[in-house]
Amino acid sequence: MYYRIIRNDLAKSKLISLTTLIFIAAAAMLVSLAAVLIVNLSGAIDQLMTQAKTPHFMQMHSGAMDKDRLAAFAQQNSTVDEFQTLEFLNMDGAQIVIGKSSLAGSVQDNGFSTQSGTFDYLLDLEGEVIHASDGELYVPISYMKDGMAQVGDKAVVSGKEFTVAGFLRDSQMNSLLASSKRFLVSEHDYTELKNSGSIEYLIEFRLKDLSELGAFETAYTSAGLEANGPTITYSLFKMMNAMSDGLMIAIILLVSALVVAIAFMCIRFTLLAKIEDDYREIGVMKALGLRVSDIKKIYLAKYAAIAAAGCMLGFALSFVFRGMLLENIRLYMGESNNSFAALLFGIIGVLLVFLAIVANVSGVLRRFRKISPTEAICFGSSQEKSAGAKYFRLSTNRLFSTNIFLGVKDVLARKRLYVTMLLVLVISTFIIMVPQNLHNTISSKSFSTYMGIGSSDLRIDIQQTDRIAEKAVEIAKVMESDKSISQYVVLTTKTFKAKTENGSEERLKIELGDHSIFPVAYSKGRAPAAEDEIALSAINADEWGKKVGDGITLVIDGKDRKLTVCGIYSDVTNGGKTAKAVFTDNSSDIMWSIISAKLSDKSHAPGKISEYANRFDYAKVTSIDEYIKQIFGSTISSVGKASFAAIVIALIITILVTLLFMKMLVAKNGYSIAVMKALGFTNSDIKAQYVSRSVFVLIVGIVLGTLLANTLGEVLAGAVIASFGASSFHFVVNPVSAYLLCPLMMICSVLIAAHTGISGVGQIKISGNIKE
Amino acid sequence: MKKIIIGDNIVKSFGEGDEKHNALDGVSIQIDEGEFVSVMGPSGSGKSTLMFALSGMDGLDGGRVAFDGRDLTALKENEYADIRRTSMGFIFQQPTFLKNLNILDNIMLPSMRDNRKNVAEITERARALMKRVGIAELEQRDITQVSGGQLQRAGICRALMSYPQIIFGDEPTGALNSKSAEEIMDILSEINSEGTSVMLVTHDAKIAARTERIMFMRDGKIVSELLLQKFSGTDIDDRMKRVAARMREIGV
Repeated sequence: MYYRIIRNDLAKSKLISLTTLIFIAAAAMLVSLAAVLIVNLSGAIDQLMTQAKTPHFMQMHSGAMDKDRLAAFAQQNSTVDEFQTLEFLNMDGAQIVIGKSSLAGSVQDNGFSTQSGTFDYLLDLEGEVIHASDGELYVPISYMKDGMAQVGDKAVVSGKEFTVAGFLRDSQMNSLLASSKRFLVSEHDYTELKNSGSIEYLIEFRLKDLSELGAFETAYTSAGLEANGPTITYSLFKMMNAMSDGLMIAIILLVSALVVAIAFMCIRFTLLAKIEDDYREIGVMKALGLRVSDIKKIYLAKYAAIAAAGCMLGFALSFVFRGMLLENIRLYMGESNNSFAALLFGIIGVLLVFLAIVANVSGVLRRFRKISPTEAICFGSSQEKSAGAKYFRLSTNRLFSTNIFLGVKDVLARKRLYVTMLLVLVISTFIIMVPQNLHNTISSKSFSTYMGIGSSDLRIDIQQTDRIAEKAVEIAKVMESDKSISQYVVLTTKTFKAKTENGSEERLKIELGDHSIFPVAYSKGRAPAAEDEIALSAINADEWGKKVGDGITLVIDGKDRKLTVCGIYSDVTNGGKTAKAVFTDNSSDIMWSIISAKLSDKSHAPGKISEYANRFDYAKVTSIDEYIKQIFGSTISSVGKASFAAIVIALIITILVTLLFMKMLVAKNGYSIAVMKALGFTNSDIKAQYVSRSVFVLIVGIVLGTLLANTLGEVLAGAVIASFGASSFHFVVNPVSAYLLCPLMMICSVLIAAHTGISGVGQIKISGNIKE
Repeated sequence: MKKIIIGDNIVKSFGEGDEKHNALDGVSIQIDEGEFVSVMGPSGSGKSTLMFALSGMDGLDGGRVAFDGRDLTALKENEYADIRRTSMGFIFQQPTFLKNLNILDNIMLPSMRDNRKNVAEITERARALMKRVGIAELEQRDITQVSGGQLQRAGICRALMSYPQIIFGDEPTGALNSKSAEEIMDILSEINSEGTSVMLVTHDAKIAARTERIMFMRDGKIVSELLLQKFSGTDIDDRMKRVAARMREIGV
């Protein structure tokens, strides 16, 4: 019997069932994908970390190191299985050129290592330990992903030539989140390079029992051993490896939760409408003595069937997209051997979706209990009225035309039904607005000042050359007499030694010059103005543990010089570790100089750029827009793509859901449509009433969605932005697109969908619905 | 006498192929201005279909209908709707009201379509009509909060809002007890006496006996017609006897 009921019901509501099916399939696919990705990711990470024998405990250290004392500690500590110290030769990105591209702009700390002896191996793409020959350079896998390097490329490191022999997986520093990247060279080459960079030590331990890690950490700290640098444990390595794909999985889970929510709402809406429709029948069944559970089964059967079909379809579809999403994991971490577990978890995920839907339907059907048989049989509908709409009367309405009034009135009177559609539209608006605002914010000019780039028009870099100071003066002189340049400033970056808390010295890059001309945005404090003031980038302030008002001591020509931290700013340039000061200094060498200039007419920028580039062939002349594009270009464009995709998805959801709701409303309101027609309302009157319902709900949805996007959405986006290194964040909203174009797009979609959805109004016959 | 409605050889069929049958099989009918007529017949004889066809609610498969001299068959659906809204009134057996609106709003609804600016005037007329049929105190009630008889009175008010030339009633007393039914018929007679034509579809001889002309239908055809005088309120038993006799005679 259930089969017959399901078949008849499906045949009657093809479009509605199909839409529900699509949402369920999408939800099942996403959940299954997320499950598969989680299993594969954890499997691949385990595999990689086992093959590479990742250290359980690693202390990074710069400065002098007492190797014997460390070895003695390792020997005495019974939990230690293996111990080793490795060198990591930190080198300025400007000294590394692969193919034609230099790593000068790289935000990573790039360094060189030799293959380790006993554990912490650098692996090739087959998972084998690499043995580099002389002249061979193995490059971190992330540069392969970027397309920066290819096997066979020539590379020049600090003047020495190498050939890129392959790529390496580094179980420690694979992740883009790990700020260092290890290049692998032979022992011989390493010795030759040794003088071109600064050495950092990696003090590494593997324990007999990983559960002893906590105790070991305490022992290491209390032994007072070398500790000038971060400490990283096995679980942190694991987390860093999991992070970027983990983020993708989190996004997929988030989207699937959203799609499940929409599927729930579609089901709720169709069910509520169906219950309204069948009110009398349900009352009769109750009156005849059928149990609520029996009646529920009839309705549940249909949705269980749709949910089962959707889940199977979704699971099948997940196989199509699986490969695409696993690509990154395979590249960074290699294959996982968990294919059976992946399948199992995929199925479990899909089953969960199925059960959630059945539970949801069952929950909505609880309403049956409240249906009174007498009421249902006498009136054929629930007699509860919503109070809010009572005061909205035709006789007192002066605002709307009668058709619009009837549409709005219906929405107000049946809030429970329309709230579902409203929620979907709120979500859609949110999905459109947040990525768009985020995109607009990070592509706005003011945002670059949050990122450590002043708002000038063009920028001239002088680096990797001699006599930088003289060249800068030469350019400045030309600019002084150039009438088309309204403002310019020369900023010179030098490296200084600064004292850390424990008395050791570390290098600090400081940009000297007038920082008031093209100021960056300070999250705390202000730009340095006096000789004894310094501003630190957020990352540096964090690393050095400095707040505004704290002191920092530089060592210049062997003498201490005390500076006060006057401001903290966000910076993504030069790895985010920068500082700004105004004092004059002739002691140390200049690393580079930057001349920023503002044109009196920005449209002359391309001409000026080629003019200066031709005249000063030793300088790199770029427009600031181009510079920003290089630094954030890929981020901006991927956020832009995401925002475009979000708009498309949200509009599709809007159209589908509006279409579904309108189709269903018309199908179930056959009687009242016939009444309206009999009373002399034309088809276009009735259509206008239905369109006003959806537009009214849409307007409320847009308002709520926009409010939500500007509050909750800003907080969420702020969290994303904070990961780039910007500490304070507010949406820069483009009012035309956010408050005009987007609502317009949604209104158009809803109008089209509503119009298509209500095309059935014309076919409704008065006699078929009213005649006794 | 001016003809308000002329139906000529009307054919209306339902179903397809072998199951096709003519609900109206070449019916011709004329109603005079100010006339009070009724159509009687057993279930399935086609009497409601005839009313739907004459009022333009259903399309025709053959023949033509003219209303107040205009050929309705030539009109588009929207023009039909305009005529229904402005020149015709309808009373149905079951209350056909919008659940979301209170009684007053339901009564005003069709008139508000065109004359929203005159809302005060429309409200005044609706209140006057409600007072006339004795439901003045119900205007703010929901349609679920009043009795069937009261709803049917509200239906009459709604039908009268646009000063119609004709009122169609499809079993307007079918769902009411005899007292309420009589009260409704009193109101309809009164309206008719003011010059509005009324056409009722009924299977109740007592209701039909209060009209001045009765058409009997069977199998989609008008098989007989009984002419009575305007009802004066006194001779109902005698009229009912004549109706019963005619029904026996023709076997409906």
